[in-house]
Amino acid sequence: MSKRRGMTLFMALGLLAAAAMGCGGGQTGDGSRMQAEAGEKTLVLGDTTFNAENGEPDINPHNDNSGWACIRYGVGETLFRFTDSMETEPWLAESYEMVDELTWRITLRDGVTFTSGRAMDAEAVKECLEALVSDHARAAGDLHVDAITAEGMVVTIKTEVPVPALIHYLADPYACIFDVQAGVTEDGIVQGTGPYKAVSLITDTSLELVKNEDYWNGEPKIHGITVRTISDGDTLTMALQSGELDAAYGMPYASYPLFENDNYTFTSCATSRVFFAAMNFESRIIRDPAVREAIAMGIDKESFVETLLDGNGYPAAGAYPDSFSFGGDAVNAESYDPEGAKQILEEAGWTDTDGDGVREKNGTPLVLRWLSYPSRQELPLLAEAAQATLGEIGIRVEVNNTADHNRIRTDSSAWDIYASAMVTAPTGDPEYFFAYHCLDSSSSNDGHYHSDRLEELARELSGTFDAERRSQLAVEMQQTILDDHAYIFCSHLCMSMISKSNVVGLAAHPCDYYEITADLDIVQ
Amino acid sequence: MRERKPQAEKYLQSKRSNHMKARLILFSVLVTGLLLTAVFAHWLCPYDPNQQNLDMALQAPSLDHLLGTDRFGRDMLSRVIMGSRTSILSALVLVGIISVAGSMAGVVCGCCGKAADTVIMGIADICLAFPGLVLALAVAAVLGGGVHNAVLALAAVSWPKYARLARSQTLAVKHSDYMAAAQLAGDTRRQLIFRHILPNIAGQILVTAMLDVGTMMMEIAALSFLGLGAKAPTAEWGSMMSEGRSMLQTYPWVVLTPGIGIFLAVALFNLLGDAVRDYLDPKTIQREQEETVE
Repeated sequence: MSKRRGMTLFMALGLLAAAAMGCGGGQTGDGSRMQAEAGEKTLVLGDTTFNAENGEPDINPHNDNSGWACIRYGVGETLFRFTDSMETEPWLAESYEMVDELTWRITLRDGVTFTSGRAMDAEAVKECLEALVSDHARAAGDLHVDAITAEGMVVTIKTEVPVPALIHYLADPYACIFDVQAGVTEDGIVQGTGPYKAVSLITDTSLELVKNEDYWNGEPKIHGITVRTISDGDTLTMALQSGELDAAYGMPYASYPLFENDNYTFTSCATSRVFFAAMNFESRIIRDPAVREAIAMGIDKESFVETLLDGNGYPAAGAYPDSFSFGGDAVNAESYDPEGAKQILEEAGWTDTDGDGVREKNGTPLVLRWLSYPSRQELPLLAEAAQATLGEIGIRVEVNNTADHNRIRTDSSAWDIYASAMVTAPTGDPEYFFAYHCLDSSSSNDGHYHSDRLEELARELSGTFDAERRSQLAVEMQQTILDDHAYIFCSHLCMSMISKSNVVGLAAHPCDYYEITADLDIVQ
Repeated sequence: MRERKPQAEKYLQSKRSNHMKARLILFSVLVTGLLLTAVFAHWLCPYDPNQQNLDMALQAPSLDHLLGTDRFGRDMLSRVIMGSRTSILSALVLVGIISVAGSMAGVVCGCCGKAADTVIMGIADICLAFPGLVLALAVAAVLGGGVHNAVLALAAVSWPKYARLARSQTLAVKHSDYMAAAQLAGDTRRQLIFRHILPNIAGQILVTAMLDVGTMMMEIAALSFLGLGAKAPTAEWGSMMSEGRSMLQTYPWVVLTPGIGIFLAVALFNLLGDAVRDYLDPKTIQREQEETVE
C-alpha cells in the first residue's frame, strides 16, 4: 500500500513539474527574437482560416479560394487593388482605358519582376489570365473573356459580353498575377510579384516566406515570415500569449480581453464579411413561405451581436455593410418579432397539437436541420442562439456544426438551413455575391433558390456600366431575396488582427485580404 | 514469522473488516446521492438549464447563480446538475450494455465449443488491437453525433474486456465438481449457464463494471468534448467543457464547474468500485492479514 502511495506521489510530482515547465516563459517558441539577435528579423503569423476547409489548401490563386492566401501573405498582387474606401486603383497596372463596352486596354507598370526572375510584361499577364479563365471555377463566368492580346506593356482584353465590373474582378484575389511559365509546384507554390516569396508550404500546417530582394515597391523589412495554420481559436490564443506567434488573425472574440493591454496592438476595421443563413428550397418544410418568414423573424440579431460577438460587428439587414451605397439600411429586412412569427405559423397551420413545444402540420413536426461549421468561431454560437429563439416560437433546430460542411451542403437532402460567413463584396462591386450564391448559375446556390425577378435583375446588372444604376439594381436584388426570405443576414463583422506591440505595419483592410505588405516590420 | 497472538489478530481482523464496511457504506451513500441528483435533476435545478438570457451572459458566481452563468446566460449550476443526468446515466447504461453483452459472449465462448470461441474471440481481438477511444471516434463519426450514438460507439469497442473476463471465469468453473454434479443431475446447457456459471462469475464482473463506470464517463465526456457526443443545447459535462474552453482564462467557472463535476463523479465511482472489490474479494482480506502478520 505504501509503495502504491509513493508511486502515486511520485507521478503527481512529475505531472506538476511538467506543468510548471509548460507554463514557464521559455524562449524556445519566440522565433522572432532569436533570429533578430542574429541580425535577421523574422515573424510568425498565426491564421485560423488558411486551410483546405476554407478552400485555401495552398497559394495558387487559380485553385478555389487560395488567391486569398496568395495576396494576404504578400506573395501575389493584382493588376488593380482597393483603396480604404473600396475604390479600385491601379497596382501592377499603371492605367486602363475602356475602348468600348467590350474592350479594355490595360497598361502595365514598368520594372516589376516575378520572384522567378522573369520580368512582368503583357505576355506574362496574358498567360496568367488565360490560365485563370481556364482553371478557376468562377473566373470564366465573371470575366467572359473572348480574347486577350499582349503588346509590350499593354494588355487588351476583349469580352464576349459587356462586363462593367471587369476592373473589380481583376482586383479579386483569384486574379493575382504570377509567372505561369515558372509553373505551380506540387505543394501549390507560385512565383508572384509581391514583397515575399514562398519557399515551402504544407497544407493545413504552414507556409514559409522569405523577403523578395527585388521587390518593385520598396524593400520588405522582414527577412523571413512563417504563416502557421492554427484552425483552433484557443490554440491561437495561447500561441500568441506564449510568444510563439508575433501576430494572429481570426482570434475568438472571447479571447480579446487577454490582449487588451500595452503588450499587444489591435488593428480592426469593418468589412463586408457577413454571417448569413441560406435556405434550402429542396426541403419540404423550407419551401413553405410562412416557415421562412417565421425563421427570419425568429432570430435575435441584436442580442447575438451585442453579447455573443461582444459588439465586434453590427446587425445586418442585407448582404452589404453600411459603407456601401447599396448596403446597410438601403434594404428592409424582418426584425426580431417572436410573437409575429408565432402568429404567422399559426395562420399557416403550424400548431403544437401534442404540447411538446414543437409545432406540427399534417403530422410533420417543424424541425430544422441547421448546418454550419466551427472554423469561424462564432458560427456555432449563432446556431445555438437561433436554436433557443426559434425554439421559443415552436421550431426545433438540430444543429450540425461540422468541418465537413462543404461536402454536406452539396447534398440538399441533408440540411434545411446553411449558416456561413462570407465577404459579400470582396471586389467592392455588388455582382459578386449574387453571382456566387443566388442565381441559377451560381456555384454555391446549394439550396437551389430561384427567382425569375432576380434572374432578370442580374442580367440587367451584368450589362450596366452606370454606377448609380448598379447600386439601385443591387438594392432591388437584395430586397428580392429578402422578400422571399431566401437568405437571412445576421451580422456584419469587423476584421481584426492582434500583434505584439513591437510589430508595425500590420493594418486591417476593409476588403479583408491585404495583410502582409512591405511595410510590415518588427521594431525594438 | 512472529508468533501470532490470536486475540490481537482477531481484533485487527475485525477492525479491518469494519473499516472496509465503513468505506463501502460511505461511498455507496455518496454515489447514491449522485445518482439521485441525476435522476431528480429536473426538480433540483434552480433554473431551466437550457433557457438563454443573453443579458445575464458570463456572470461570475453569485448568490443568484451559485456557479455563475455561461456565454448564453444559462445558469451553470442548473446545467451541471442536468449534465450529471446525461453523463452519469449514459455511463451506467453503457457499462450495463457492455457488461451484459460482453459477459454473455464470454460465457458462450467458454461453454459452446471451439467454433463460437474462435469467431467471437477473433472479433474481440480485432477490437482490442485498436486504441479504444480512437476506434470509438471512428464509429461515432460514422454514426453521427448525439449521446445515444456515443454510447453505441463506445459499446461497440468496449465489450471485449468483459467477454475475455467472462470466458476465462467460465473455463475456470466449467470443470468444477459442482458443474459435473449438475451435468449428472441432467441440467441442460442453458440451466448450467444461468444456474451455475453466471452466479459464480457475477461477482468479478460486477467489480469490473463498478470500476469501469468512471472510465466510461470519461470516455463519453471525451467524445462530447470532441463534438461527437451530446449535441447543443443538451447539458453534458464533456460538451460543456468543450464549449467553455476558450474562456478558461477569462471566465474560468464556465469550464471548471463541469470539469469538477466529472472529477468528483469519476473519483466517487472509482472509490466505490475499489470498496466493492475489497469487500467481495476474500484474497484482499487474506493478503492484508498476511502483510500485517509479517
